[in-house]
Amino acid sequence: MSAFGRILLVEDDPKDVELTMTALEDYKLANEVIVAHDGEEALDYLFRRGKFANRSTDNPAVLLLDLKLPKVDGLEVLAQIKADAKLKLIPVVVLTSSHEERDMVTSYKLGVNAYVVKPVDFHEFVNAVKELGVFWALINEPPPGSVKKN
Amino acid sequence: MFTLPKLFSAIQRYGLAVLSVAVALGVSLATQRYDFHAEFTPFLLAVAVAAWYAGSGPGVMALILSSALFDYFFTEPLYTLYVRASDVPRFFVFVAFLSLITWFSAVRRRVERELRQARDELEREVAERTQQASLLNLTHDTIFVRDMSDIITYWNRGAQELYGWTPEEAIGEHTHQLLKTNFPLPIDEIRAELLRTGRWEGELEKTKADGTRVVVASRWSLRRDQHARPAAILETNNDVTERNRREQEIRGLNEELEKRSGELQVINKELEAFAYSVSHDLRAPIRHISGFTELLQKNAASVLNERSQRHATMILESAKRMGNLIDDLLAFSRIGRAEAHMTMVSLQQLVQEALSEVAQETEGRNIVWKVGKLPACYGDRSMLRLVLVNLISNAVKFTRTRPQAEIEIGSTNHKQDQIVLFIRDNGVGFDMKYVSKLFGVFQRLHAPEAFEGTGIGLATVQRVVHRHGGRAWAEGGVDKGATFYFSLSKSGEQNR
Repeated sequence: MSAFGRILLVEDDPKDVELTMTALEDYKLANEVIVAHDGEEALDYLFRRGKFANRSTDNPAVLLLDLKLPKVDGLEVLAQIKADAKLKLIPVVVLTSSHEERDMVTSYKLGVNAYVVKPVDFHEFVNAVKELGVFWALINEPPPGSVKKN
Repeated sequence: MFTLPKLFSAIQRYGLAVLSVAVALGVSLATQRYDFHAEFTPFLLAVAVAAWYAGSGPGVMALILSSALFDYFFTEPLYTLYVRASDVPRFFVFVAFLSLITWFSAVRRRVERELRQARDELEREVAERTQQASLLNLTHDTIFVRDMSDIITYWNRGAQELYGWTPEEAIGEHTHQLLKTNFPLPIDEIRAELLRTGRWEGELEKTKADGTRVVVASRWSLRRDQHARPAAILETNNDVTERNRREQEIRGLNEELEKRSGELQVINKELEAFAYSVSHDLRAPIRHISGFTELLQKNAASVLNERSQRHATMILESAKRMGNLIDDLLAFSRIGRAEAHMTMVSLQQLVQEALSEVAQETEGRNIVWKVGKLPACYGDRSMLRLVLVNLISNAVKFTRTRPQAEIEIGSTNHKQDQIVLFIRDNGVGFDMKYVSKLFGVFQRLHAPEAFEGTGIGLATVQRVVHRHGGRAWAEGGVDKGATFYFSLSKSGEQNR
């Protein structure tokens, strides 16, 4: 798989993926999204392993990371990214259902760049995702070696 | 004892000397009259009596007086004090005799004094020993003494009370045979330690007169005689049977407690996992329901009739409400689980903070605030602020129908260590019939159309107040306003 994108969305729930994509569509960002369905797939993509062994060396401009994931959970993914010299430059936004303070504290300790609790209200959710997408993928100047905006 | 120096003053002692010489003179004159010539002897006796009973001073005076009188009345030339050379030896005999008597009397007095001292000392020692022995008898501790062949020589009342034998029965018996002592280690080792260090202590099992076994904490002390040879062993015993049993019981209870607290920890962990899972898994479907319903509304607006549009709106409202309920429930469960950070908190300041927090809700409203002087208390700042925000926001909410709302915040401290805070409003109030339901989770006394809310606010208030060792209650009437009270302790001694 050689496709690459500006946004790596790590999300196991297809409904959440669809809602997130819908929200990003408004800014034509949906095409730039790579979806990993569990923590292992996300790590494979980032470390160019398995089916992602041949992907381009450019890294995503931003990582939208759910915490509750099959196989390897979000906090572990975050820990591995932030422990890697190259990958730790990628901005990581935790996008989670949980208000758990424990998760938030752990995430910030691990060096997360933003922590967003998915709002139940769809409008708020759409706004949150849009703003994240726009900020991190369009406005923010990504670290060297990331996919640049056209 | 009959001792003149003690009984008579100096005058009396010298008086005795004069008197005895006078008597001697009378006797000598009488014997002379009856032609019985022994004039010298009564004077000797008088000097002896004076020296013996009245001391050396009166003795010397008696000697001088006797010499003068004898010279005057009985030596030639009569009735003069003229002394012939032939009378000088008689005078020397007098002096020698007196010295002898005085010396004897001094020796006698010294011996007497020493005897008296020795007797007093003995008496004191006897009294002391008697007192010590009776003190030993007074103590509840079991004390007995045995000689080096383990024969009991002393047995106090405590020993009688513990073991049941009287001193008469016990003294003379062999200790370990009488008490059937069970030693935890060989007796030779105990003896060796006793001889080496002078003491030994440990737990021993012994038998009472009635045959029951008893465990005692036993202390042995070795007494040595003046040649440093072991002479006797003093043993004190304390019955620890009951104490050991209690310790066993406490150990058992502690183990039970540890088990329970372990179980509680497991349950707590499970609860936490449950809340975590609720927080993640329950919110996601609701988000999906509302998300897709909204997409449906947006994309299928043309094909949905008015009724279906309304249904979609209701689905959205329900989903939103469910989301709020879950959020509130999670917040509520977090208060129970969160660690309280206790500090001194100024309630005055906290009320101001709470007021600015509810400022948004009061916009466009006509509210008269009355905030009294509030004390400081000991508690978790953020939890207490939550309590105040909830109560004040309730007061604001339930006075909405009033043209002019009046909300009073104050404190009453009836008890020394307790503060009672109240928030009073002139709002719609409630029926006292349902007062018990007020503080329940998700309990609501008003229709959601009239007053919004999930019904978690007062439950949160109660939970926080309980965690602070206080109490929350309310008074009110339908359309007569409501007053909510909560108590806190000033010092925090009741706090967990």
